[in-house]
Amino acid sequence: METDWTTLITQLIWIIFFIMIFTGANQKIQMKLWGIDIRNKLSLINKYLLEDRNKIENILRNLGVETPSVLIRRATNFFTIDPVSIEPTDIIKRMDHLIRISDKSFRNLVSLYVKNIDKYEKSLVETSLSIYAAINQVYKIIRHYLLLAEKENNWILLMQLELQMPQILKIVETYHEALDPFTKGKPIGDSAGPLVVYRLIENGKIVSKTVVEETSITELWMDNRRIYVIKAEGPGSNVGRPGHVLADLVEKLNGNVDLIITIDAALKLEGEELGEIAEGVGAAIGDPGPEKIAIERAATKYNIPLRALIIKMDFKDAIYTMKKEIFEACERAYDYTRRLIRELTPPNSTIIVAGIGNTIGVPG
Amino acid sequence: MSFNIDTIIYTLIITTIVMVIYLYMELRKKLQKPEYDTKTLLKCPKCGYQIEKNYELGEFIGMVKGKCSKCNTPMKIIAIYVVEKRQNPEKLKNT
Repeated sequence: METDWTTLITQLIWIIFFIMIFTGANQKIQMKLWGIDIRNKLSLINKYLLEDRNKIENILRNLGVETPSVLIRRATNFFTIDPVSIEPTDIIKRMDHLIRISDKSFRNLVSLYVKNIDKYEKSLVETSLSIYAAINQVYKIIRHYLLLAEKENNWILLMQLELQMPQILKIVETYHEALDPFTKGKPIGDSAGPLVVYRLIENGKIVSKTVVEETSITELWMDNRRIYVIKAEGPGSNVGRPGHVLADLVEKLNGNVDLIITIDAALKLEGEELGEIAEGVGAAIGDPGPEKIAIERAATKYNIPLRALIIKMDFKDAIYTMKKEIFEACERAYDYTRRLIRELTPPNSTIIVAGIGNTIGVPG
Repeated sequence: MSFNIDTIIYTLIITTIVMVIYLYMELRKKLQKPEYDTKTLLKCPKCGYQIEKNYELGEFIGMVKGKCSKCNTPMKIIAIYVVEKRQNPEKLKNT
């Protein structure tokens, strides 16, 4: 009797196996499972969105905004269209123009609803809304592909989505956690560049300070050299326009600059140590193009040596509150910068040092 | 090749146990997310004494806050950073 049952079960398994193989039912089951898994992850992203939305709404209400949901909806749906790239002539100029208008329009939009607050608080609100908009965009795109794949029975699309979901979820979690430093004004990993140059400002003999396009230029004397320190104006959430300001400064000095150093946070490769410092040549700046090209053009025009110093970290460390390891790396980078200046230039030289990145929590 | 019904049942039980252990370990791995504490590092500009304390809302780098316990000079915030919660808060040495 026992042997009969065993044979029956084995036969049944084989029959089910063949039916599934020939009808494609196994793929349908797999699709269902993938769909369930993606939906679970999507509902997790939705949970993050609701949490962040409540947080931002509370902040806006505390700042006196009567209808925060209207501002959040408008800011979330705000978009910028990329310039035409199949005709590359003057693309940098067009891109620069669009970035400027985009920044200005977004700020004006926030100003319409959030009145009578200082620049610092306003910058925190703007960045918080941008983070919320980014998570919302990811949510909408995933939902779009999930529904599309189910509607058209496209299992390749669903499989791609399922395989990419862990990575996408990691990015979303990073943005979700990044809301904390941006609502409280704490320095983030990307503030490494501004923090290093702020040390120069603190320890040098300041001659003058000007602010142009939300970017500060501090002229100081250090190690018997004239140093111009460029960074976004802090301590609000601001990246400034260091490329254009640096190019204008070089023009103003008629190209009489002996060295340009850019200091920035850079993404590390897996396996590399957090806070590792590396030096090289070129403009260390991660903008879409206009700022970087402005530095390169200014340095090339007057044949000025262009050196770069990077502090390595991963994406999560770059937009989350600065880790102690990164702060310690900034202290090392400060000493490194001073050593580079002494090694590469004679006394009485003129040097421009630009600290690139978001200056949140770092004044100057 | 013939199988005894007991062999099939034992195989299923062992497979289930292995699966449960595997899923439990995976779940534990996911739950082990590091938590962080935000700290503020203050430094005395006169004697160089440094102290690490818990971050308070509104603080920023360069802010003058509190007085040095060694020389009574106003202290300056030189860093705000996060440390993993399992690490013990350390009091930095006089530099």
